[in-house]
Amino acid sequence: MAHRRCLHSALLHATALISLKKSPPLSIVKALTSKPNPVITTSNLEPSWFIPWSYVRHFSSRKSDDSENEAEMEESSDGEGESDEMASDMARDYSPEEKEAEAAAIGYKVVGPLQRSDRVFKDYEPVFAVVQIGSHQFKVSNGDSIFTERLKFCEVNDKLILNKVLLLGSPTQTIIGRPILPDAAVHAVVEEHALDAKVIIFKKKRRKNYRRTKGHRQELTKLRITDIQGIEKPEIKTDGKPLKAAVKKPEKIAATA
Amino acid sequence: MQMALRGVWQLKKLIVSYCDWGGSSRGIRLFWALLERELALGILVNNMLQGWAFMESELPTFKEKNPQLEVVTELIRGQHPHLKGFYKNKNERVVCVKNMTPEDILLYATRLRNALGRKVVKLKTRHVTKHPSVQGTWTTDVKF
Repeated sequence: MAHRRCLHSALLHATALISLKKSPPLSIVKALTSKPNPVITTSNLEPSWFIPWSYVRHFSSRKSDDSENEAEMEESSDGEGESDEMASDMARDYSPEEKEAEAAAIGYKVVGPLQRSDRVFKDYEPVFAVVQIGSHQFKVSNGDSIFTERLKFCEVNDKLILNKVLLLGSPTQTIIGRPILPDAAVHAVVEEHALDAKVIIFKKKRRKNYRRTKGHRQELTKLRITDIQGIEKPEIKTDGKPLKAAVKKPEKIAATA
Repeated sequence: MQMALRGVWQLKKLIVSYCDWGGSSRGIRLFWALLERELALGILVNNMLQGWAFMESELPTFKEKNPQLEVVTELIRGQHPHLKGFYKNKNERVVCVKNMTPEDILLYATRLRNALGRKVVKLKTRHVTKHPSVQGTWTTDVKF
C-alpha cells in the first residue's frame, strides 16, 4: 500500500513534468510526497527548477525514483546505472569475448542453437574419445549422455564443441594427445539444465546442543554427444550403414563452416 | 526419437496459477496495468520496481521465446501462486512461487522448461552409455 502511494505520487510527478513545466503543480506534488528537505521545496524557481529536481531523487525513496526515470534524461541514466549495479551484484555481465574465454578455459565452445533441419543425431560409431570439461574427464562415444557441472552461457538445445580432447580411439587405432589433441573435436548438444538430487548437510557438535541442517542441490548440465572428429571411422559391416556415412560427410563440412 | 530430448522439448504445457487478491501473488499478478502502460511510454528499465507484474511483462516474452510451449494462466482465489509443468513423459512438476519477485518466478519457469521431467534421483553415474567399450573390455586374460 505504501509503495502504491509512492508510485502514484511519482506518476503525478511525471505527468506534471511532461504536461506543464511550471512550478505550482510541482510544489504541490512535492508537498504530497513530503520530501524531507525544505530547501528544495522553497527553491523551485522557474529558471532553475531543473537542478533542484535532480537533487530531489537522492532524498526520495527507492521506488519512486525508479519510476521517475521517464521524466528526464539525466535521471533515467542515473537510474539505469543503479539497475546495472544491482544486476551485477547477482551475476556480473560478461562481454562475448569474456564468455568465449571462460568457456574455452572450461573446454567448450558454443556454436549456436540446434535447428530443426540439423540432423546431428546419428547411429553409433565404434569410436571413442576422452574429453575434459572443467576438471572432469569423460570417455565418450556418440550417442552417450554425460552430466557435467552446469555450463555457463549456453542454453538448452545449443550445440557445443568440446575441444579438450585427450585421447581418441577406434577398434584399430589409438591417438594419444600430449596432453590434448588440437585438431580433434567432440560435438555435443545441451539437453538439460537440471538440479541434482538434494544433499543434506548436517553438522553436529556433541554435548553442545548444536545442530545445523542445510540442503543443497547441485546444478548439472546434461550433454548428448553427437559426433567425434579427428579420427577415421571404420566402415560398418551392415549394408544400410555406408549410405549413412555418405550422408554424414556434407554435414560435417556444414558443421565446421 | 526416444524419451530423451534429442532436440525435442519435453515441457509441453505450463500452468501459471495465481490469486488476484492475496499478497503472496504480488510478484506474479497483473498489477497496475495502467501504470505499466504509463511506464512503457518512458524508458523501460524498471526491474527493481516493486509489484512489477510477472504476467504483465515477463510472461509474454517467455511465451514468445518458447513457441513450442503452451502457457496457460489460471486464477485460483485464496491459494498461493504456483507453476505447474506438464511433461511429455506424462510427469508433472509443481513449483510454489509465493512471495517471489518476477525475476525469481522467471527463473523457476525457465528451470521447468530446461528440465526433461524425469524423476529426481541421485545419479549413480554421470556418464550414461549403451556401448561401454570400443576396443574390448579389459580382463586379466588380455595379453598385449
